[in-house]
Amino acid sequence: MPHPGPLRGPVPPHKGEGALALLITDRGVRRLYALNDAARAPGLFAGQKATDAAALVPELVTHEADPDADAAALEALCDWCVRFSPAVAVDGRDGLFLDISGVSHLWAGEQAMADDLLARLCANGIPARIAVADTAGAAWACARHLPSSSMEEGPGMVVRPLRRRVSAIGVRAMPSSSPGHGDHTTTQPSSIEEEGFPYPTLRAFICPPGAQAGPLATLPVAALRLDEAAAAQLARLGLTRIERLIGLPRAQLTRRFGPQVVLRLDQALGQAREALVFRRPPSPWIDRLAFAEPLSQLDDLVRVAGDLAERLCERLRTEGRGARRFELICCRADGKAFPVQVGLSVAGRDARVLTRLFAPKLETVDPGFGIEVVTLSAEGVEVLSAAQGRLDNSRAAMAEEGVAALVDRLTNRLGEGAVWRAEVVESHVPERASRPAPAISASVTAGWDPDRPRPIRLLAHPEAIAVMAKLPDDPPLLFTWRGQRRRVRLAEGPERIAEEWWRKPVGDIGPGFVRDYYRVEDEAGGRFWIFRAGLYDDADNPPRWWLHGVFA
Amino acid sequence: MSGSRAARLAVLRDQVATLEAGTRTPSLVQPFGDPRVDDCLPGGGLPLGRWHEIVAEGMETEVGAAAAGFGAMLARPLAASGAVIWVMRRDDLYAPGLESLGFPARRLIQVRVRDEAQALMALEDALGSAGVAAVLGETEDVDLTAGRRLQLACEKHGATGLILRRRPFGGPARKAATGSAAATRWRVSSAASHPPPGEPGLGPPRWSVALERCRGGRPGAWFFEWNEEADHGPHPLRMVPGLAGDELAAAERVRRIA
Repeated sequence: MPHPGPLRGPVPPHKGEGALALLITDRGVRRLYALNDAARAPGLFAGQKATDAAALVPELVTHEADPDADAAALEALCDWCVRFSPAVAVDGRDGLFLDISGVSHLWAGEQAMADDLLARLCANGIPARIAVADTAGAAWACARHLPSSSMEEGPGMVVRPLRRRVSAIGVRAMPSSSPGHGDHTTTQPSSIEEEGFPYPTLRAFICPPGAQAGPLATLPVAALRLDEAAAAQLARLGLTRIERLIGLPRAQLTRRFGPQVVLRLDQALGQAREALVFRRPPSPWIDRLAFAEPLSQLDDLVRVAGDLAERLCERLRTEGRGARRFELICCRADGKAFPVQVGLSVAGRDARVLTRLFAPKLETVDPGFGIEVVTLSAEGVEVLSAAQGRLDNSRAAMAEEGVAALVDRLTNRLGEGAVWRAEVVESHVPERASRPAPAISASVTAGWDPDRPRPIRLLAHPEAIAVMAKLPDDPPLLFTWRGQRRRVRLAEGPERIAEEWWRKPVGDIGPGFVRDYYRVEDEAGGRFWIFRAGLYDDADNPPRWWLHGVFA
Repeated sequence: MSGSRAARLAVLRDQVATLEAGTRTPSLVQPFGDPRVDDCLPGGGLPLGRWHEIVAEGMETEVGAAAAGFGAMLARPLAASGAVIWVMRRDDLYAPGLESLGFPARRLIQVRVRDEAQALMALEDALGSAGVAAVLGETEDVDLTAGRRLQLACEKHGATGLILRRRPFGGPARKAATGSAAATRWRVSSAASHPPPGEPGLGPPRWSVALERCRGGRPGAWFFEWNEEADHGPHPLRMVPGLAGDELAAAERVRRIA
């Protein structure tokens, strides 16, 4: 389908030497992969056979296209764009998405930010078009299909509070004047068809929040990221502009053109969600071993883990760093991967310790037909100064390390949360007064109130007991717990503990939620912590007695 | 004649002790500070670098409160020299309660395991680690092999093990252990407390303790009371006479004068 060419507009003539095209071999046929304006002028087009093109334009200069290098260059550009936003996604062969929600204020506005990005790209020889909109679909459509005239009136837009803003960069690049290194400087030779657009005069297009329907309406349906068949079918029926699509009954649209058309339309207008896959720069702390002969023995795996740990730890040591988490991934010959993680409570880089932690976990790896590749990566890398033996108190330092290593071993074997230390919580409610904290932590806070006796065993759920008391407010004379009757010899109390009303709905607050705790001792010497929930003067909810803990 | 016989016996005892000790370094002890207990124990105190067994009776085998309190008091003097670790299957240990007995519960490292095998694994690992002073563990049973392994782990860095025998709630009772590699076995139950005269409420916690087995020592039975004033100096357990009332008052008077 002929491109309406909204970008061509007042295109200044390309000042290159002449017709240039990149070639690719597609199923045994040499075809044009990308070409510049000079080549397009005589009627060449992408996808044409190279022999036909050479017959039409004998002076056509051709070079081999390298799509892999283009993709690598685009990924490098994607990583570079992290300076603008932490969330950057690669879009196809020639675009990037930047999620700029909550970032643009660093540049004092979206327009300034987009202009800065544009200027930096231009300075690097990468012509680009930028549009900012609420949805990825709208930004994509505006960046690629908006007439250049709209882009020029961009500065009039003002910055508004953001909801979710996505900036799509339709990066357009072309071979530099010397085609010899075209592969390195071009990001997408495929878009040479858009070459030579007047980027110095363009500014980024900022779509007002919630108003993407306006700019979208005039755009061609191809701006909806449709597949070729659907786009061609729409065009055949005369639905060339998006505005004509918006008014049509959706059920019939779906039936005729498949669900994609309606979905893309909704995504562009912000009525359907769209997930972008953002690229994260890979951790540089990774090492890998591949084997010509797949491994299947556990011993071999353990040895490989040791070798990898040795290499990675050596790198960490030379850089003066340590890591808290390590992940070993065993890739099986049939494409399955088995990740095995270990964590350290203190950042470390001791290969022997790591190997010992990995060894029991490697038993869970099913080698199947064999393990081909093993990678080890470190996360949570932080600066770790070289350990130096201390003249004084060296035994204490050694002991600290021993306990930390023990905590690591137990945590990795028993699971997260199985090793802890009690921490004080400012609360009178007994079950909330203590909470688990990491076993290795530097600070030890102030303790619990020593004047309040507390049991050594606290039942997770208080158990109901049957009691006999002389007076309603007295501690009981007799109580039965777990089928055993106990006669109370000594008692002290009550200690009244009210529930924390601010944690509850208003209706649940009242005298019924007060607990009166008593310490009682039975005739055999057993000491128990029992409480009465509620008050006797509440006829509807007679108080009940519970046993909450046992003293030593 | 009897004198020389006693002397010969003493020499023989020394020789046997040397043989038994083998290549081990002579173990340190933690004295209770009361000759009536210390004389029953080899070396004059609770042997360190060994593991000890604490058993309970009746419902206490499920609840394990008295045994836990007694074990914590045995471990408390050791907490200054290294880390203390508590291995358990049910996490109903209440740190504020331990603290009210003077045990540094905020520095205690607690480990929850799922079954007996994991408990023994964690105990052995903890006992064999540098920097660990004492390990308390709650297990159902320690057979001879496991006990021997625990002992070997104890000897690595001199950690002391205190194994509380506790079975799961409602679980079937196991048969009583016949043999054991433990250095001592204590049978502990809580005893009636005695508040100071004229004061209401409960007195300091009190335990009825029987030393049932002791390698190289003699068995015995005593009452211990929690020694409130023992901050760092004396042992947190104080021996009290079995029958209360005037005898206790007399004992207290003596202590105050001293």
